[in-house]
Amino acid sequence: MRKLSILFFVSLMFIPSVWSQSTDSYDLGIGVRIQKTEQLYWENGFGADFTSDFLLNRKIHLKLSYISSRMGSAFNTNAIKQDNYLIGADWRFRSEKSLQIFAGFNTGFFHADMEIPRFNVLPHNSMLFSLETGLAYRFKFPVAMNLSLGYNLINGNGVSSPGTLFPVFYEMSIFYYLDLPEKSKIKNLAPSNAPE
Amino acid sequence: MKKNITFLFLLLLVLASCSKTPDIDNATMLDGDQIYDPSIANPKKYLISDSIVSPSDIQKNTPVIIAAHGYSATTFEWDELRAYADSAKTFYVSQVLLGGHGLTYADFKKATWEDWQSSIITEYRKLDSLGFKKIFLAGSSTGAPLIINMVKSGFFATQSTQPKGIFLVDPIIVSSDKALTMVGLLGPILGFTTVELSNGEKGHWYVYRPQQTLKQLMALINITRIDLQNGIRLPTGTYMKVYKSKTDATADPISALMIYKGMQTSVNGNIDVEMIDSKLHVFTRLEGRADVTAADSATQKRVFKEMELKMKN
Repeated sequence: MRKLSILFFVSLMFIPSVWSQSTDSYDLGIGVRIQKTEQLYWENGFGADFTSDFLLNRKIHLKLSYISSRMGSAFNTNAIKQDNYLIGADWRFRSEKSLQIFAGFNTGFFHADMEIPRFNVLPHNSMLFSLETGLAYRFKFPVAMNLSLGYNLINGNGVSSPGTLFPVFYEMSIFYYLDLPEKSKIKNLAPSNAPE
Repeated sequence: MKKNITFLFLLLLVLASCSKTPDIDNATMLDGDQIYDPSIANPKKYLISDSIVSPSDIQKNTPVIIAAHGYSATTFEWDELRAYADSAKTFYVSQVLLGGHGLTYADFKKATWEDWQSSIITEYRKLDSLGFKKIFLAGSSTGAPLIINMVKSGFFATQSTQPKGIFLVDPIIVSSDKALTMVGLLGPILGFTTVELSNGEKGHWYVYRPQQTLKQLMALINITRIDLQNGIRLPTGTYMKVYKSKTDATADPISALMIYKGMQTSVNGNIDVEMIDSKLHVFTRLEGRADVTAADSATQKRVFKEMELKMKN
C-alpha cells in the first residue's frame, strides 16, 4: 500500500519535467479535490490537471488525483479510512471558452483500511472506474474550478467489492496553473475574447 | 431541438403517470388485507408485557429479551428464538412487531422509521414499569439501527432499568444493494420495488416495498452511520455483541466494522463482534428458507446458546 502511494506521488512530481521537453505549449494545474459521496463520506485530497496543444488542441485533459476520507469524514472520527488513487481523462466542449463543459472517466485503485485484523476477511481493495461530467470555469488569473457529478461503475455489493464504495459522487476541484518557464506557455487560461 | 424537448416532456409524463400501485394478491400476500401478523390478534403469545401483567419476584428477575425484526419482515423472524426460550425456560422472549408492519401495504407505506421504532420503545417502557430487572434487546437487520438509535437518543437514561445487553444480528448500517443510496432520485419513478419470497416466507414479508419506506430505511441507516462516526456510548453496564454474516447480499458486512468502531461501553471498552461464516442474511432465522445447511443449523443453535448463557450471567 505504501509503495503504491509513493509511486503515485513520484509520478505526480515528474509530470512537469516530462512535459517540459515538449515544444507544444501546455497547461499544468495542481490543486485540491473535494468529493462528497451520496449518503457517505467527504473524501478530500489533491490532484493535477494537464492539457496541451497536442491533445486535440486542448480538448482532452488528463487528470491525476489522490483523495481520502482521512482528509474528510474520517479525520478525528470513527469513519472508515479509505483512499482513492485516480487517473482519468476528460473531453472538453467549448475548450476555447472560460466556461467549459466536460465529460470523462476515471480509473484507479481503492483501498479501505479495515484497521482491525478480524475484519480483513471483508473485501477492502478494488479497481475504480467512474464516469464524470460537469462544468469547468477558468478565471482571468491562473485558476480554474471544476464542479462535477460522477458515477462509480464498480461499486460495493457486500460480497466481492468493498462495502464503502458507493455509486454517486459530487466533486469540486480547484487548480492553480503553474507559470512554467521557457518552452511552456500558459495559453487560453483567460481568453480575452471569451464572451462569458 | 423543440422536438427533443417535447419528446422528453412526453416521456416524463408517461413515467409519472405509470401505475404506482402494485398488484396485490390478498389471499397470499402480507401486503393484502387478509393476512396479518399473528401478534396483532394474539399479543399475549408474543409480548411479555401482555402475557405477564403482574410479574412475581422470580419473573421480574428472569431475563427478558425484546426481539425486533427487520425492515418489511414480521415477528416470524424471531419465532425460532421464542421456540428455543420456551424449551430452555431460562429467559423470556418478547417479540415486538415494528410499527407500520404486519398490516396492509397502505399501512406500511405511510409509516416512518420512528413509527417502526415506537413498538420497541413501548415494550421496553412497559417491561420497565412492570419491574423486570434483566431486560435485553435483540435486533436483526433494521432492528439493529433502531436499537442503536435508542441508545444514541438517551432513551434508556430515562428508564429505571438499563438494558443488560444488546445482541445485533446482521445489522444494516450500509445496504449491500447500493442502488438504495439513489432512492431519492429513483424512488418516485419506480414507486415500489418487488422481492422474491420462498414458499415458506410468503405471508411473513411484504412482497412490495413502497419507495416511501425505502427512503425511510435510507434515512435511518444514514443517521445511524453518522451517529456511529461521531461515537455512541452504551448505558452503564450494558453489554453488546454483533453477529455478522461474512457474506450478506442485504446488509453489507462493513456494517459490523462501523458498529465496532462507533460503539463503546460505558467504561470506554470495545463491544464484541463475531464474523459468522454464513451467506444468510439474519442467519438466526432458518424457518421458511429453502437452502438451509447443517452448518447453518449448528450456527443458529450455538448463537442462541451463547445468548442464553450471557443472559444467565
